[in-house]
Amino acid sequence: MRNVLVIARREYGTNIRRTGFLVVTALVPLTVIIALGVMMFFSGSASQLLEKAFGSTPGEVGVVDHSSIFTPILAEFQDQFRPYPDETAGRKALLAGDVSALLVVPSAYLSNGKVQLLVLQGSGLQSGMLTDSPRMDAFLVSHLLRNENPALRQRAAHPAHFSTVQVSSKGESENRGPLGEVYAFLVPYFFSILLVITIFTSAGYLLQGIAEEKENRIVEIILSSVSARELLAGKIVGLGAVGLTQVLIWVLSVLVFSSGSVFLMAVQLSLPGMLRMVLLALVYYLLGFTMYAVIMATTGSVGSNLKESQQISGIFSFFAAIPYMVAGFAFSNPNGLGLRLLSYFPLTAPTMMMMRLPMGSVPGIDIVLSILSIVVTIPVALWIGARIFRVGILMYGKRPSLRTLWQVWRQAG
Amino acid sequence: MPMLLVSHLQKRYAKLEAVRDLSFDLSSGEVFGLLGPNGAGKTTTIRIIMDIIQADGGSVEVLGGVPRQAKHRVGYLPEERGLYLNMGVLDVLVYLAELKGWQRPAARKRAKMLLEKVGLADWAKSKVRELSRGMQQKLQVLAAMVNDPDLLIMDEPFQGLDPVNLEAVKTLLIEQRQAGKGLMLSSHQMNLVEALCDRILLMNQGEALLYGSLAEIKRQYAGHTVRLSTEGALPADLPGVVRRESVDDGWILSLAETTSTQDLLSDLVARRIPVLSFQVAAKPLAEIFIQVVEGGRHA
Repeated sequence: MRNVLVIARREYGTNIRRTGFLVVTALVPLTVIIALGVMMFFSGSASQLLEKAFGSTPGEVGVVDHSSIFTPILAEFQDQFRPYPDETAGRKALLAGDVSALLVVPSAYLSNGKVQLLVLQGSGLQSGMLTDSPRMDAFLVSHLLRNENPALRQRAAHPAHFSTVQVSSKGESENRGPLGEVYAFLVPYFFSILLVITIFTSAGYLLQGIAEEKENRIVEIILSSVSARELLAGKIVGLGAVGLTQVLIWVLSVLVFSSGSVFLMAVQLSLPGMLRMVLLALVYYLLGFTMYAVIMATTGSVGSNLKESQQISGIFSFFAAIPYMVAGFAFSNPNGLGLRLLSYFPLTAPTMMMMRLPMGSVPGIDIVLSILSIVVTIPVALWIGARIFRVGILMYGKRPSLRTLWQVWRQAG
Repeated sequence: MPMLLVSHLQKRYAKLEAVRDLSFDLSSGEVFGLLGPNGAGKTTTIRIIMDIIQADGGSVEVLGGVPRQAKHRVGYLPEERGLYLNMGVLDVLVYLAELKGWQRPAARKRAKMLLEKVGLADWAKSKVRELSRGMQQKLQVLAAMVNDPDLLIMDEPFQGLDPVNLEAVKTLLIEQRQAGKGLMLSSHQMNLVEALCDRILLMNQGEALLYGSLAEIKRQYAGHTVRLSTEGALPADLPGVVRRESVDDGWILSLAETTSTQDLLSDLVARRIPVLSFQVAAKPLAEIFIQVVEGGRHA
């Protein structure tokens, strides 16, 4: 056990400093920052953010009203919209910088809905930000309904705040916030993708490490001190810890960079459901990583160099990628027969289940069978892997043909 | 009790019998040479002793127990060797010592002492890849000795060393012997084997051809070669001479198995051939090696 820990410590210390690890680990926080930026932009917060960042407060909007619908401007909009008698006066004000945009409403507006927004050249995205802004919507709707009572005008400008209630098969209701439905899918879905990425980066380091040790011939020196099993176990533990560190950094960075909003999103979901989902994801992560780590270690020991080992391991990585190839089906029907079958096949089970879990209620039998299939596969993979690893790791310069693999298998006996 | 006891060892790879009924032993303070041509079965034998692969038959006792239990007390330098090129010189040694059961502080102390001894102390913090080839070879030897082993097994320890580094490594090995440790060498550099080994085992095609004290073996093979210097020409019909080679000061004669050096000397005297010098030539180990391997002669 001591040797396993010594090896694990070295693997952890070495791989945590790899450039590849640092880049991939940094990529997620960067992606989160970009994603949040995009989200804010499309949710209308971008203008506020830009205003805060660059101090370019969108000024008042000039209004030239030929339809008489917007005259006079309602009191609640008078600080944001300024009337002009004609387009010439409006343009003059725009050029003088008195207003940031000019809304020209033709007389036929009521019948065809056409309006014009004039902005200065070089004002960038300002026109887009204005036309899609809630304040412009509220301005238009409120004036169209100016004869109605203020409460109705307000409702028409902001017609509904949806909250979705999901009814389970047992008849229990679960109330989610306005974006709850989206969060309920997105948060766990991206979490599952991160776990899958981690499985393959860590297992990839394992493959790389073993292939390098074989290539630079240190492996025989190591095997004179520890058994092949201890070496394998040490590497799996060390690189598993590397993967968990990566996940931890990602989760923490997402919480920090999003100022806790992702956490708030998560707590909007049902807590027991969220906990169940996280626990299951961790179970699939640990089982999936162990299974793939053993497979990668075995392929690493068989190839005569890193490139060959990667070619062989590509076959197994392909299996893991299949669920993402059929993701379209999963979005529409996460419990379809094909997807369920992929959940029972050990090589696709971890990724398939991590994808299905966030998409809806997965039958308990699928969870049990998928976990069972991986749990049964791990000792079998270990048995086969350790047998091939023990001999394969000492075979130098031989191309790993099927015949060679058969010889390795027989020699290991 | 011997430090290493190999009895009737057998190992087969598919159709190839790599090791066949091999037996030998090694005592403390002894340098033992395991010799043989490429593919003789030396590496397989060593890997079985090191518990890296399993034997099909026979037994191996290392330091009085099974090889697995003795791993921490054995040092090993394999023929196919290398180091973590991106690791620090000192860190590699400490890591390998830790795998042999050493605690980190003690391992650091021992590693530093060894680096000092071979003049690599200034490189302790450098990456292994920054060392010259010769330095890396020396570091490999240190890696095998970092756990202060009772038994040291080295496959081609002098490979790639320049004369200066070769002397440094030789000195290290001699110190091991003087400290009462056991040392098993496998090398194709016969002059070094001759200089260092007390006993040897020469194997080919998986089985022992020659086994015993190096001095005894050399004596055994010396009796049939004579270095001779005479006044005038040497008759062509000397009985029992199977090969003659002219050298600067005379002849080197190889005698038939049935002819002794005494027989030859008597014949020269009987023929009244003036003998200036007559010396029973010690055959170099390399020649014995070739003779035994090519002749397939069994010890």
